[in-house]
Amino acid sequence: MARVIKQKPMNWVERLYVYECLRGLFTTLKHAARGFFRYEQLPTISYPEGQPDIPSNYRAKHRLMLRADGTPRCVACGMCAAACPAHCIFIEATKSDDPRIEKRVMRFDIDHLVCVFCGLCVEACPVDALRMDTKQIVFEHRTREEFVAHLEDLTNWDPKDYPEDAQSQMAPGGTKNAEARKVWGMEVK
Amino acid sequence: MDIIESKSWVEWLITIAKFAFCFVPVLYILLLIPMERRGAGFMQDRQGPNRSYIKIPYFGKIRLFGYVQNMCDGAKLFFKEMFAPKGANKILYYAAPAIPFAIVFLSPCVIPWFGPMVFDWAGEVVRIPGSIVDSDVGVLLLFGLSSLSAYGAVLAGWASKSKYSYLGSLRTTAMTVSYEVCLGLSLMGVLLLAGSFNLTDIVSWQEHHVWGIVAQPIAFICFLIASIAETGRAPFDVAEGEPELVAGYHTEYGAMHFGLFYMGEYSHICINSFLIATLFLGGYSIPFVTTETIQAHMGGSLAILCWVLAFLALAFLHMVHRYSKKLAATKQTHRFEVLREYRLYNIVGWLAVIVLIAAGACSWMFFTPEVAHTAAGVNTLGTALGTAAIHLLVLVVKSIMFCWVWIWVRWTLPRFRYDHVMNLGWKVILNIALVNLVVTAIAAKLLGGN
Repeated sequence: MARVIKQKPMNWVERLYVYECLRGLFTTLKHAARGFFRYEQLPTISYPEGQPDIPSNYRAKHRLMLRADGTPRCVACGMCAAACPAHCIFIEATKSDDPRIEKRVMRFDIDHLVCVFCGLCVEACPVDALRMDTKQIVFEHRTREEFVAHLEDLTNWDPKDYPEDAQSQMAPGGTKNAEARKVWGMEVK
Repeated sequence: MDIIESKSWVEWLITIAKFAFCFVPVLYILLLIPMERRGAGFMQDRQGPNRSYIKIPYFGKIRLFGYVQNMCDGAKLFFKEMFAPKGANKILYYAAPAIPFAIVFLSPCVIPWFGPMVFDWAGEVVRIPGSIVDSDVGVLLLFGLSSLSAYGAVLAGWASKSKYSYLGSLRTTAMTVSYEVCLGLSLMGVLLLAGSFNLTDIVSWQEHHVWGIVAQPIAFICFLIASIAETGRAPFDVAEGEPELVAGYHTEYGAMHFGLFYMGEYSHICINSFLIATLFLGGYSIPFVTTETIQAHMGGSLAILCWVLAFLALAFLHMVHRYSKKLAATKQTHRFEVLREYRLYNIVGWLAVIVLIAAGACSWMFFTPEVAHTAAGVNTLGTALGTAAIHLLVLVVKSIMFCWVWIWVRWTLPRFRYDHVMNLGWKVILNIALVNLVVTAIAAKLLGGN
């Protein structure tokens, strides 16, 4: 697979170096002038005070989607744990009370110190239970144990933070929750 | 005692006050370090250091556009522990950083900061030169002093007992010595035209004929390259090449020792840019205007100066205004405290504008020729001081321009290899300077110059 990249030989102006120097100097002068006279146009964000604009498909911290009744959508199939290249997802299943669902998740831990944020778990999930669209990119905790996100942490999100997402609005507190409950049909204990 | 009694007290006062110019390079360090760091940031589309602040009670934080960072760095260097590596020669190790820094105070002696002051005092004509030492070998003295800084590098490299320091000091010495030759030779053309080693004479020749950069463009380029190389800055900083040597001759130095080397480097830049401005850019003179013209219209000149400064203050205010408008529109959490700081700058800026415009108008109306001159060619003390102030400002502006060239070049061009630097010095620049000197000499003879 060795690929030889042929470089264009320099012409005599380039070999003289003086003209290229001046070109480089002009480039840096342009940038310096922009920084000086148009300081506010610099692409840098003064970070902790100003937050970057994160797109919704950015792979950030995970969350578990909820059904209309507030139970996690996860059916504990273990496909995310199987897909995970870093082996950071730990799932324990238990029997579901709902006759339409075979299993429900009892323990769902994601170790964010091990996670590589590849997003394969999200791809693997057959019921769209796991998502990485929280836009939370800062993880700061005191101990290693706190970096492990449990089921409560993963399901603890607010539908108001995802106004465009119809799926999220079906969770309790969302705008489409009542409608979704009707469709879901059954009150689950 | 004759010398003392022959001078009036005003003459003594001004002569002693001129010693304050020794501290100009030190002040330039305070200017150059933020200029370099913010300039480097802007060139790389960064903001540069801007986060340090001073907390003022009942007001808030003051960042001074990031200037506080340099105070913090200085304080940190100052309070760090000073130590010497094991086996170092203690005396030389501790003495070495003082040498480049001591030269900082000596070099400004021969630079003419303003034209000779000629004024009438109690019926006698007093003449005070613009430089601290009005020497007829001024240029040679300056070169001698700046070559001395090589001793600092040699001693530092030798005394630290480290091979990296030693190699770095060898390289620094070789660079300094070889580029001194180019520096001196490229300068000779201007000296030839002016016919003097006295910097005041060189400046006055440029003022009345043509600037050195026009008369000797090739010499100017050679001199600029050679003086960048002589200060040992990028792209010629082979002595500090991090891939090969750790940091050059000051590898083993920390705390304020390193600080002294660092400040010595910046003041070397300052001295060199003053030298270039003096030799090639007409020193304190203003283009197309001679000192005599300025003195004849002193009030108007001062008014123009004040109004130029007022315009700069207005430009500053405009920038602050535009930036605060943008900042107020964002959601940054610190915007209110920054905006409060900018309001302070607004007040200071508007005060400066009002004062400067008023001062300009006053000097325009009240500083009439009757007040300014006692006789033809002899001015009052006020005119002489006003001329000196204008000259000094002009020189400072020119030198800051060249200081910027140093920073600009450093953050643009990649480092040369060691043998390339030596080739450039000995085989290219030296020869160009020599040819330029011969051509200048012949042309000057044929055209009937000096």
